[in-house]
Amino acid sequence: MQLQSFDESYVQRLEEGDFRTQEHFVAYFSELIQLKLRSRLNSPQAIEDVRQETFTRVFAALRGGKLRQPDRLGAFVNSMCNNVLLEHYRSNSRDDSLDDEEQPEIPATNVDVLGMIAAKQMKEKIAEILEEMPERDRRLIREVFLEERDKDAVCSDFGVDREYLRVLLHRAKQSFKSLYLKNVAARPPGAVAVGKH
Amino acid sequence: MDHNEAVRQNATERYLLDELDPELRDQFEEHLFDCQDCALDLRAGAMFVEQSKVLLAEPATHPVVRPVKAASKAGWFAWFRPAFAVPVLALLLAVIGYQNLVTYPQLTAAANDPQVGPWASVNVSTRGTTDTLIKTHTGEGFGLIVNLPPEDGFASYGVDLYNPAGRLEWSGPLAAGRTEEGRQIYIPGRNRLPGTYTLVVLGVTPAGERKEISRHSIDLQVQ
Repeated sequence: MQLQSFDESYVQRLEEGDFRTQEHFVAYFSELIQLKLRSRLNSPQAIEDVRQETFTRVFAALRGGKLRQPDRLGAFVNSMCNNVLLEHYRSNSRDDSLDDEEQPEIPATNVDVLGMIAAKQMKEKIAEILEEMPERDRRLIREVFLEERDKDAVCSDFGVDREYLRVLLHRAKQSFKSLYLKNVAARPPGAVAVGKH
Repeated sequence: MDHNEAVRQNATERYLLDELDPELRDQFEEHLFDCQDCALDLRAGAMFVEQSKVLLAEPATHPVVRPVKAASKAGWFAWFRPAFAVPVLALLLAVIGYQNLVTYPQLTAAANDPQVGPWASVNVSTRGTTDTLIKTHTGEGFGLIVNLPPEDGFASYGVDLYNPAGRLEWSGPLAAGRTEEGRQIYIPGRNRLPGTYTLVVLGVTPAGERKEISRHSIDLQVQ
């Protein structure tokens, strides 16, 4: 999705219900919310519930003029998400209070053709990065992320320390990032990222 | 947390590795939602991790297919032109003659005569890393005798050999037999570079799962 600055004009368009801006806003913060929630909630359904409830409340607050510092829009979303998450922990399931409030229609995130091409390119790039890694590093990544083994035990088995793991991930990410930025900047708002929950 | 602090602390990598304590994680998230640079960094890292999981879960990684330039039809038949064919056939005859008169008798003798070469013994009785020094001459191989621990519950064993660059050079099973006999591996010497090789001994459970038992550094000195 294209980068936009979250300023007074952006917030004003959101408050006025501009569809493009809402679409960008939902796509941008959906990814961050999902990344934030996946370490805290187990089920994809719970993550989706909290995500939707967060946007419902943010839009309601925006319409009510409750955001006083437009440049803190991101922090406002994060704070709202924290509140919804705490309520979710307390109720452990969606209770009536979450459903009773008026829920405006939230723009859906759609799969687009350009997005799919970009996703394929990015997948190939990641395959290339993995292919160029020494076998040991590939196995490290496999055991830490795919098999979700205890990281200390994996590091001990492979004779490396945790810093090695961080640097390995950092280098791989940096190799991939330039293509990612190129594709993200070119994609229209609302495109779904590859492999997203 | 500000941007510089997030970068200095490698917050993105530590967040993806779930290494931040709850307080730091909250601070980083608060910054993340306000900082598009950090958000992009994290999203790129998260996508790399997610896609790596998909790719590494597949039976074999797919090599990137690069387009191959098609050869023109005329080029193939050009090899039959006398200007190429006659010298090539002459060279071929010379190579065959040399192989029959020199190379083949040498190889036969080498295969049938007893060989004396360097070897080392590797004990897998304890978990951990051991260092072994082996000195060879250029082109000379060496032997490794792997002594496995008795009665450790594995159905079979395998070894992975990594070269000094860390790349997997060879992987294979250890010959079956009684554990107290030890298994022998012969590492050919052709094109072998000096340096520290790593031998990883793996146990295969009855369920087919491969588990690393130990790894051993083989310091190869070629004289």
